[in-house]
Amino acid sequence: MISWRERRPFDFILLVAALALCCYGLILIYSGSLASAGGKVDVLSGPIGRQAAFALVGLGLCLAFSRMDYRFLAQGSSGMYVGLILALLFVLILGTQGTFGSRRWIDIAGTHVQPSEIGKLVVILVLAKYLSDNQENIKDLRVFLSSLLIAAAPALLVFAEPDLGSASIFLLVWLGMTIMAGCDVRHVIGSLGMLLALSPFALLVLVTDYQRERVSTFLDPARDALGSGFNTLQAEIGVGSGGWFGKGLTEGTQTQLDYLRTQTTDYVFSVLGEELGFIGAMILFALFIILLMRGLRAASISQDVFGQLVAVGVVIFILFQAFINIGVNIRLFPVTGIPLPFISQGGSSLITVFIAIGLLESVIMRHKQVSL
Amino acid sequence: MRPYSTGRKPWRSEPFQEETDDLQAARGKLFYFGLLVFFVFAVLTLQLARMQLVNGEAYRLRAENNRLRQVPVVPPRGLIYDRNGVPLVENRASFAAAVVAADVPEERQTDIAVALQEVTGVPAGEIEDTIEARRKSNDPFTPAVIKENLNEEVAFRLREKLADLPGARVVVEPRREYTQGSLMAHVLGFVGAIDQEEYDRLAASGYRLDDRIGKAGVELSYESLLRGAPGIREVETDASGREIRVLGEKAAKSGSSVVLSIDLDLQRKVEEYLRAAMGRSRNAASIVIDVRTGEVLAMVTLPTYDNNLFTGDVDEAALEKLLTDPAKPLLNHAIAEMYPPGSTFKQITGLAALQEGVANAGTQITSLGYLDVENEYAPGKFDRFRDWSALGTLDFYRGVAMSSDVYFYYLAGGYVRGGKQVFQGLGADRLAGWAKRFGLGERTGIDLPGESEGLAPDPAWKERTIGEPWLLGDTYNYGIGQGYVAATPLQMVLVTAAIANGGNVLTPHVVKELRDVEGQAVSIARQYVRRNLGVDARNLAVLREGMRQAVADGTARTGAAKDVAVAGKTGTAEFGERRPNGTYLEHGWFTGYAPFSNPEIAVVVFLEQGNGAANAAPVAAKIFDYYFGRRNLAGGAR
Repeated sequence: MISWRERRPFDFILLVAALALCCYGLILIYSGSLASAGGKVDVLSGPIGRQAAFALVGLGLCLAFSRMDYRFLAQGSSGMYVGLILALLFVLILGTQGTFGSRRWIDIAGTHVQPSEIGKLVVILVLAKYLSDNQENIKDLRVFLSSLLIAAAPALLVFAEPDLGSASIFLLVWLGMTIMAGCDVRHVIGSLGMLLALSPFALLVLVTDYQRERVSTFLDPARDALGSGFNTLQAEIGVGSGGWFGKGLTEGTQTQLDYLRTQTTDYVFSVLGEELGFIGAMILFALFIILLMRGLRAASISQDVFGQLVAVGVVIFILFQAFINIGVNIRLFPVTGIPLPFISQGGSSLITVFIAIGLLESVIMRHKQVSL
Repeated sequence: MRPYSTGRKPWRSEPFQEETDDLQAARGKLFYFGLLVFFVFAVLTLQLARMQLVNGEAYRLRAENNRLRQVPVVPPRGLIYDRNGVPLVENRASFAAAVVAADVPEERQTDIAVALQEVTGVPAGEIEDTIEARRKSNDPFTPAVIKENLNEEVAFRLREKLADLPGARVVVEPRREYTQGSLMAHVLGFVGAIDQEEYDRLAASGYRLDDRIGKAGVELSYESLLRGAPGIREVETDASGREIRVLGEKAAKSGSSVVLSIDLDLQRKVEEYLRAAMGRSRNAASIVIDVRTGEVLAMVTLPTYDNNLFTGDVDEAALEKLLTDPAKPLLNHAIAEMYPPGSTFKQITGLAALQEGVANAGTQITSLGYLDVENEYAPGKFDRFRDWSALGTLDFYRGVAMSSDVYFYYLAGGYVRGGKQVFQGLGADRLAGWAKRFGLGERTGIDLPGESEGLAPDPAWKERTIGEPWLLGDTYNYGIGQGYVAATPLQMVLVTAAIANGGNVLTPHVVKELRDVEGQAVSIARQYVRRNLGVDARNLAVLREGMRQAVADGTARTGAAKDVAVAGKTGTAEFGERRPNGTYLEHGWFTGYAPFSNPEIAVVVFLEQGNGAANAAPVAAKIFDYYFGRRNLAGGAR
């Protein structure tokens, strides 16, 4: 078992923050699923039970990963990367059709599995490995471009699903990690400039009608208030009507009268905003900030570059998942299918973020060993 | 690059190398990542504060508007009875399939339309058009009916499927059913779906796009009373429009019921007699009125139509036929069309002459069968005005009784022979003044829509309208109810009623009283007497005696009833273009009252293309016979 010496550096604050977020999520999922369940949710068999089960699996994996030396994962990272690319191709060709014709899932044993979620961790590991292996010539353009290639391949595949949100997470993670790894700032700025220069072209050619529709709906949801603008508008109304303290858990009219759609996944934050108000949101933000700062702490005490990059990658990943998801709920961004880490209903996402916490713990638990 | 996998448990522990300077340098950057974390949540917090704390109230209002809907509660429409309490209309429940556009999810619209097509048989495309049109309208929450009059089985099947069809509804609509159909169609009118023009006008008074509204007859003129006041139920609805619970209700106020002055049995008889007398007449109309109160006891216009045609889905072919029929069956000819009154107008000329001192009972005038009048503009040239016969010398009574045109030419226009005024007539202006006093040229104010004013011309009118000077011949024609003067059958029966009741020109009405839900009579403030003619009883008596003689042994003999003394006047009015054989088409009129000594009712019978004595008067005789005969049977205690 874990000896005291080993346990002492284990970051309980980090794990407690993660579990607290997860419980917060369970409460919101409970309230959000009341309406569709006709006012009565069986805690054990319904969406709560499933989510709790996923959380337990996630917690188990988290502890397992924290016990494992994260450097061990570096060895297998190229294999995982190949597996990820194959899985994403498989999704694209044979995946389960979702709304608006997007393909994001593979069905395994009756469960939707979304490879792009765990794929974000794989990309973090691969990038961390590649960037830490090339520390001597980190300023080379060749290294920079290779790292871009590593992130861009899965990003393009999920973009084609289409899942613009996840694609941007891949790129943001890459961006954060290259900066952290010490890549040439001019390369970073240059690539960003190129991306901006290409974006009008991309909007015209690469973006599908469905994405254009989402963007125009974002700009003016009232244009089609009863159709495609419905979700955006109703989520906004839900959050806005929450005020300081919210209408009380399970008392939100928008949530309980079914005005919010996907209110346990993409729009779970609207449930929080409406029922628990500004104060409820501040508690959520505080938990996220604690969790992310503990993640940065892991990066700062890491004894090697690989661990440091993994920690930073995980922080960027969770930070921007949260930012984009909440931003969609409060009309900062157009609709994308990004889950809110720890909160949104869905196994792939929950297990992924718990493994990510496990990686952080693994980095933290090994920082003392150099002094052994 | 250094392999990590050495030792037995490579994933457990592995000594690190010496810390590099790079690692130290990289740690400095973590500060900025920390800033980024706070920055991101600061942005979210700011936006959240703007929404929840600054604009929270506005969003709360929108959330409330979302879930709270005000559903109108339409009260049952008031019923209509005849004067003896016979129900003339019933409210039948009828099922209709409807959609609430706002509740139909756009992505499921086609499925829902197809499912509705399966049940109702209405093409899915049509249903989608309806949904889309309503979604774009300013009232997407009002159910739009896609199929009316569902039979109960279909309605039941649809109701079972509603849970899977958000936005679909089965609405129960009260449907008006007129028990008497065509017999009462023109008096009752009908109720139909509100049209855009009506909606624009009435939306402010609480009408909605799916409302039904009185379109004609009593249904139109008493719309506001029959309709009652719709209540409002405030309900909480979920996103698919299902009512979750009722939060409050303002009760609807039921419509008042209406009791007509119409006597249904009499109405039926009048129609029967009139129909039998129509012959080649294109239209016919008859009114029976109580001369004391202005209550209309019967009002018939022919041809008529079945007003049940308009209550449900309108049969377009049948409607087209009604609209293109030259006899205009949708028009109430008793009040909405004006005709030259012919000799029935002599009642007005006669009374005016007596009251103005132009004539008295003993005034003697000789009819040679014509009157030659020297042309005002071409001296030495004579125009000939014909009488219907050479009736010899007549006093006032016989002038009325024999309906001598020459007698009334004298009264109206006087007579000048050899440049000498041998008889001073009323003149056009005084005659027009009396015609107007009797109510010609103005609406009678009856409580039915669509009334015509008729026309009581005077010289100024002719100058203004036709641009020609008034001629003496115009005055002569005026005196016998020809020329420009025109009146509705209703106006003429009121002329007779005024003579019968002592000079009161009445405001007629078809509604006797209103009843509230409990059946209690509700008073209606109403003026029965429009004006008094201000004539001497002596003069009235002279005219009445003339009219009695007309029926007793004059031109209106065919109007005599078996058991009651009738006073009346026939008219056979020429109209239209002169035909090749020198004659004109003629309308037949009879207007009279009974009993002579103690007048109760007045009757007008009008036959478009008919003869007064031959066609119109006998109908009136049958009406008097029926009315008084029935009363005698009942023991005279009515």
